[in-house]
Amino acid sequence: MSIADKEIRFMERIKAGYKIEATDWMPDEYRKLLLKLIHMHGISEIMGALPEKEWVPKAPTLKRKLAIMAKVQDEMGHGQLLLRVAEDLAAPFGRTREDLVTDVIHGRVKFHNVFHMEAPTWADAGIIGWLVDGAAIINQAALLHTSYGPYARVLKRICAEESFHMQHGESIILTLAGGTDDQRQMLQDALNRWWESLLFFFGPVEVTASAQRMIDYGIRTKTNEELRQQFFTKYVPRIRSLGLEVPDPKLSYDEEAKRWIWTEPDWEKFGRVVKENQGPKSQQRVDLRRFAHEEQQWVREAMLRSRKKTVSMIV
Amino acid sequence: MKEHDVPEEYEVFEVFVQKTQADFHTHVGSIVAPSPDVALMNARENFLRRESGVNLWVVPRQCVTATPYDTDVDWFAREMDRKYREAGGYPENGRLWKMYKERVLHLDEIVEDLHGEKDKRKNESASS
Repeated sequence: MSIADKEIRFMERIKAGYKIEATDWMPDEYRKLLLKLIHMHGISEIMGALPEKEWVPKAPTLKRKLAIMAKVQDEMGHGQLLLRVAEDLAAPFGRTREDLVTDVIHGRVKFHNVFHMEAPTWADAGIIGWLVDGAAIINQAALLHTSYGPYARVLKRICAEESFHMQHGESIILTLAGGTDDQRQMLQDALNRWWESLLFFFGPVEVTASAQRMIDYGIRTKTNEELRQQFFTKYVPRIRSLGLEVPDPKLSYDEEAKRWIWTEPDWEKFGRVVKENQGPKSQQRVDLRRFAHEEQQWVREAMLRSRKKTVSMIV
Repeated sequence: MKEHDVPEEYEVFEVFVQKTQADFHTHVGSIVAPSPDVALMNARENFLRRESGVNLWVVPRQCVTATPYDTDVDWFAREMDRKYREAGGYPENGRLWKMYKERVLHLDEIVEDLHGEKDKRKNESASS
C-alpha cells in the first residue's frame, strides 16, 4: 500500500471512530502532534507537582498535609503514565524516555504557564487545587474521546483520580471562605494572582494551524475557547457565590450570544513565561528538576547494574 | 549499552491487577523499571494508590504476543450468525412457556436466589 493509500485508510478509520494504537501505522504528522501534546502534558504533571510540593511542609493540619502529599504523588504518577505513552510514540524518532525526561532541563519542552508561577500563601495552594486543577480537568476530560487509544485509556485513569483533586481543592477554599476576614482576603488575593494565568492556560482564542490539524485527526475535539467558556460557566458562579470578586470588570455573560465576554490576558507576557521559562519561578523549578534528576542518576544506574542479581534471586 | 554492559534504558512491563481472588488478573497499563522486582513496586505505586488488589503480575512487554489492530481484519470476523450460542438467541421460549402458564428461567434468577440465601445465612450468623 502506498503512503497516500495508507493515509486515506487512516483517516477513514479515525472518521469511523476507531482508536489508533501504538503499533498501528500512523502519519508522521499525527505522531508528531500527539507526541508534542502528550510530552508537554506529562512534563506539566511533574512540574505541576512542584508548586504544591512547596506546601507539604507548611500545610496547616496533619490531614491537609496527608491530602496534599497524596495529590503530589498523584501528579507524579500521572506524569509517569503519560511519559509511558509518549515514549512509545517517540521510539520511531530514536528518542528515549531519558530524552523526554531531560528535555525540560534543557528547555526543549514547554510546561503549562500556571506551573511557572508563585504560590506564596496557603490560599494559593487552595486556588491551585480548585481552579488550576479545575481548568486542567476540563482540558483532560475534553481529551477523553481522543483518537489515540493509549492516551484515552491513561486519561480515563487520570480523570478518575482528578475527582479526588476537585474535592480536595474545594475543601481548602471552602474552609478559607468560611474563615476570618484575613483568610477571606488571602483567598481573594490568591484569586487575583491566578486569574490571568488561568485564562492563558486554555490557549489562544484563534484556532491555530496545528490545533486545527489536531481536531482533523480527532486528537482533540474541542477548541481552546470552547473549553475556556466551559470553565467560566462552571466556576464563575461558584467564585461569586463565595463572595469573591473575579478580577475582570468586563467579565459578563451575554445571554443572546450564549457566551462569556472576558478580558484577554497579556498573551505576550505569558508566551515568554512558557517559551523562554521567564516566569517568576521557572528557573528555580527547572533547577530543582535538574537537581532531582542528576542526584538520583546513581540510583537508576545501580538498579540497572543489579538487575541480573535480582532476576536470579526471584527465579 | 554503556560501559560494563549496563542497559541504558529501563524495560517496559505490562501490569495486571487481580482485584480479588474471585477475579482474573486484568491489564491496567504499563510502567518502566530496571528489573521485575522494582517493576512490581512501581506497578503498586502507579496502579494501587487507591484501588485494592490481592495480586499483581508484571510481564516484560516483549513476552506478550498480540493480534494486530488494523492489518488482519478477518481475525475477529463473525462469518455467520452466532445467536444460537447466546442466551438472547432463544426469544421464543417466553411465548412458548406462556402456553403452559409458566415463564422462562434465567441464570441470573438462580444466582440471585442462591446469593440471597447465602447472604441471609451470613447475616443471621453475624447477628446471633
